[in-house]
Amino acid sequence: MNLSNEIDLGEKILDSQEKQKNFLSIMYSYKDKRDKLISEEEKVLLKAELKKIKEFSIENIISLKKETLKKLGENGVTIIEVKNEIDAEKELRKIIGNEKLIVKSKSNTANEIKLNEMLKDLDLIETDLGDFLIQLCEQDELHPVLPALHLTPQHIVSVIKNKLGVNIEPDPQKIVEFVRNHLREKIFEAKIGITGANFISADGSIIILENEGNISLVSRIPQKHIIISSFDKIVPTREDALKLVKAASVFGTGQDYPMYVNIISGPSKTADIQNKLITGAQGAKQVFLILLDNGREKILNSQFKELLHCINCGACLNFCPVFHQIFGRYGSKTFLGAKGVLYSFFNESKKDSFHNGAFFCTTCKTCKENCPLDIDLSDLIKKLRIELVKAGIEPKPNKEMIENVRKYGNPFGKIEKGKTPDKMYCC
Amino acid sequence: MGLFDKLKGMGGNTLYYPGCLTKFVGKDLEDNYKKIFNKIGIDFIQLKDLEVCCGSPILNAGYKEEAINLARKNFKVFKEHGVKKIITACPSCYYMFDKIYPSLLKDWDINVEHATQVIARAIKEKKINPKNINFDITYHDPCHLGRYSTVYSQPREIISSFGNLKEMKLNKNYSFCCGGGSGVKTNYPKLAKSASKERIKMAKETNADFLTTSCPMCFYHLKENAGDLKVKELSELLLESLEKNGE
Repeated sequence: MNLSNEIDLGEKILDSQEKQKNFLSIMYSYKDKRDKLISEEEKVLLKAELKKIKEFSIENIISLKKETLKKLGENGVTIIEVKNEIDAEKELRKIIGNEKLIVKSKSNTANEIKLNEMLKDLDLIETDLGDFLIQLCEQDELHPVLPALHLTPQHIVSVIKNKLGVNIEPDPQKIVEFVRNHLREKIFEAKIGITGANFISADGSIIILENEGNISLVSRIPQKHIIISSFDKIVPTREDALKLVKAASVFGTGQDYPMYVNIISGPSKTADIQNKLITGAQGAKQVFLILLDNGREKILNSQFKELLHCINCGACLNFCPVFHQIFGRYGSKTFLGAKGVLYSFFNESKKDSFHNGAFFCTTCKTCKENCPLDIDLSDLIKKLRIELVKAGIEPKPNKEMIENVRKYGNPFGKIEKGKTPDKMYCC
Repeated sequence: MGLFDKLKGMGGNTLYYPGCLTKFVGKDLEDNYKKIFNKIGIDFIQLKDLEVCCGSPILNAGYKEEAINLARKNFKVFKEHGVKKIITACPSCYYMFDKIYPSLLKDWDINVEHATQVIARAIKEKKINPKNINFDITYHDPCHLGRYSTVYSQPREIISSFGNLKEMKLNKNYSFCCGGGSGVKTNYPKLAKSASKERIKMAKETNADFLTTSCPMCFYHLKENAGDLKVKELSELLLESLEKNGE
């Protein structure tokens, strides 16, 4: 990794031009769709209501977490708290035992611990269509809700032919039909299903939203359902969580409501035979919740606490002038964009956060405007820069500009009469 | 009237603070605004080399202490010259004086207006009377004027007084950044350029005759990457329209 303080993004920008063609119009359209669902005034009110829920949750997270552990524990969920990916792997392998086949749905927290790489000795299968295709085509995801947008049907069918030996027409409908059948076999065979969670409510439920229906299957058909999540997903009640579900949908992609909202409170059970309670009826027999920290406790106790209000809807990227030019180059392995940059300060290193783009952000605040939680990423990035500068990490022109201000009181330095400065260090 | 006499004047002085980019790069823009203020009949002073950078680029660059020092220096000079009000056409300076200085300096008591607020009011009060120049004009909301300071209507009122406003698909609070701000133009010039091209594309889609904006940074950055799209700073268009009316 190039960790010097000079970063040339030229190649990355050229690289992104093809992606821009597919991607930008969809990003723009999210707002048009949302505008049809809620007015600007409603948006402002909704944002305030959501902010209240998340602010309360994070301010009271310690007691809410206790309550959550108690309630879910009573429901029969096994809860395991892990510090980092090493601990997570240990715990996961204990649950997985000798099983080889695992079906998995989208989980940002699983991405965070690089689950696919971690368990590459096993047969881990992505079941979200986009993620399945990305996995099959061995590519990086492009966007949290649109991972495979850059793959064409032609490319997809050629990979399916190469890897799975099946001939399909390059038609989206046909591809979906094939993947549906292919994945169903795997889901019915697997004993382990792994999902993420969108929200966890302290009154004892785990809330997972989806459109495709795979999460419903992955969480219910295999014997063991493992949920990989983190404490910042906890909110007081199911009602709060459902408000946030709607927000994630409306703000993220301009969709009124997800097709499915899974509310899972524990393993399936029945008392139909002589009122004897049997755990493990027709859904999962065991439910495990792994709560990953990975820097979050540090974030909670820092000036960057607002980051934990994020519900991962991706709306911050939709009009981000930086993300639109370089896509996945902006952000960390954990999260895309400014959020990823900020997280890497906590779970990677200062230098990594610099390399990931601490100084890429134009601090334009479009992300805040578009965020259902009004998270001020621009402001957090400015705070991050203060920390990096203290450690001597900054781009060269930044340093030149400061020297000029120190010496001459302006960013351009000494200016000869009638001459224009050649570098526009501003504003 | 000398500076000292002005000091003794009743309400204190009004300072025109062009901001570093206008002062050192956009001298023509500085002249434009001076002309406009004179036409409106604003009695203003300038502090030239006595004032320093507002601190906006410094704060964005991660140097909070240095920004505070600059704010203190400026406040001292402003006080020494009896400044009670600042007018600037730079959105970053405006935001600094309006929102940040009050949080950095406990005694800060100077009012600040962005040039577009002053001009829009003067048009309403008929102090200046722009003549329709019959152009379709699209407006780029600068981040520091729009989202940071919620000044959306005044620039549009000014444009509508002499032209036909054509909105881009992302405007007002959803305005798409020109890509040049917060040091990106010098730190990562290729990134800044690429972002500006995305914005230019939106401007072209409106089929407007001109793209205009009310921020020197957005103006230079967009102009540099505009290709065959004509870009003019708001003061240029306004002056053209006033001169057409013989004002």
